[in-house]
Amino acid sequence: MTLILPKSVESVSLSAKYGYDEWLVSRFLEYVPNVKDFLSKMERIPTQYIRVNTLKTSKADLMRRLLSKGFELKSTVMPEVLAVKKAPLVTGATTEYLLGHYYIQDLSSCMVVDALDITPGQLVLDVAAAPGGKTTFMAQKMNNSGAIIAVEPNSRRARSMSFNLARCGVYNTCILKTDALQVVNFGMKFDRVLLDAPCSCEGVIAKDPSRKISHTPQDVDYCSIMQQRLIQAAASSVKPDGILVYSTCSFAPEENEMVVDRLLQDFSNITVEPIEYGSSGLTRFGDLIFDDQLRNARRLYPHLHDTTGFFIARLRISS
Amino acid sequence: MSYYCKPTRDERTKINRALDRWGAFEFFKDKGLMIQKDDKKKVVVVVYLVTDNIEELMMRIHMMQPFSLGLAIGELKKQFLPTIAGADLFARYGERNKFYIVVGEKAENLVLYGRDIMGESIVEASDALGENDLVIVLNTASEAIAVGRTRFAGKSLFQSGRVTVTTIADAGYYLREEG
Repeated sequence: MTLILPKSVESVSLSAKYGYDEWLVSRFLEYVPNVKDFLSKMERIPTQYIRVNTLKTSKADLMRRLLSKGFELKSTVMPEVLAVKKAPLVTGATTEYLLGHYYIQDLSSCMVVDALDITPGQLVLDVAAAPGGKTTFMAQKMNNSGAIIAVEPNSRRARSMSFNLARCGVYNTCILKTDALQVVNFGMKFDRVLLDAPCSCEGVIAKDPSRKISHTPQDVDYCSIMQQRLIQAAASSVKPDGILVYSTCSFAPEENEMVVDRLLQDFSNITVEPIEYGSSGLTRFGDLIFDDQLRNARRLYPHLHDTTGFFIARLRISS
Repeated sequence: MSYYCKPTRDERTKINRALDRWGAFEFFKDKGLMIQKDDKKKVVVVVYLVTDNIEELMMRIHMMQPFSLGLAIGELKKQFLPTIAGADLFARYGERNKFYIVVGEKAENLVLYGRDIMGESIVEASDALGENDLVIVLNTASEAIAVGRTRFAGKSLFQSGRVTVTTIADAGYYLREEG
């Protein structure tokens, strides 16, 4: 059950000031550092990032072309990712975009793929894969070798994903239109598995302010239950010594640390490995105490990391 | 309904011939290809570039028909019609021949909106091109931006004030279809 915390003067005042449901702010006060800065940041347009598609071009060439068109770009902590500081044209309508030289993708989303530690030639499973931003980055890291099975149950989203793969020149991927829970029936084991789970999307409120009041504690409960089923299926598809990365764009501990904690309770052969970027995962929330390894998981906060909100856990499955 | 499979030797020969027309035979000769066939007519509909591992996987999960597979490089009907992704690979790795034309910067933007090509927009085209020939349209950076069909032959392609190449497919399609 989603934890509802008692109202406080601060939670009432901040929720009124920024237009959130109070239950959400009272929870943020528990697990988001510097909540006032966070709420203020969520009012501003998020930084736009582009990821260079090295299957088609080089970072230097892309920068040269976009700079000549009047773009202002800034390097980030990830070599493939550039922050767009000024865009005289719509970033998603340039010739370079149409030719697949870059993908508009948040830095946090690229960090999720980075956490997979993918190498060329591997066999990778991408669960809930559309619209394909992470998949195309994986293909890029694999230099179009090996194979990626991308699972997406929705036809419209699968079609949109197939366009993105084609635009980016990806040919090591197969899209299967099926329920993510069916992955256990493939009877196959993968070197790497990514579960970017469907979630309540608290982390993207800056992009979609309607979420300040549109989602409920019941939505968090629903997502949490589904995520626990998905992570079990995903974990069972990993080869011995393989890696499962679990991520969401939510801050809710019930969708993040709690999901991973339950998995750790069920499987003794899983460890949470450190990740380079972001803030530590939570080891407690309210009365809940999580496995100490959850410190190695990462939380990305818009006001601290200039990304959309994200949770990332890298799980090593030993034999 | 359709299904995916590996091309037979005869089918691969037919595909190789088509790739050779675009100067891309060498690049593709060691690459894995799969085809999508029409269930009833048993004819090849679409040709896909895939990795060896994808080929193997398809054998293992054959009970599940994929939504899509690898990269569709062309449709094999009466003639091999390259997709934009295929044209991109041919332009990038193939040997440029008479079936490639180049348009100027202004025309590039119009072509990417699906417009046909005016004679004055063409900056390079072979005299040997005939009427009704399939061509890959490049920008000045030699990148494939469209696939088109000539309405005129040779020098007539450059005539001013007339559409001389019909755009069949263009890279802006991704944006228009997604949007």
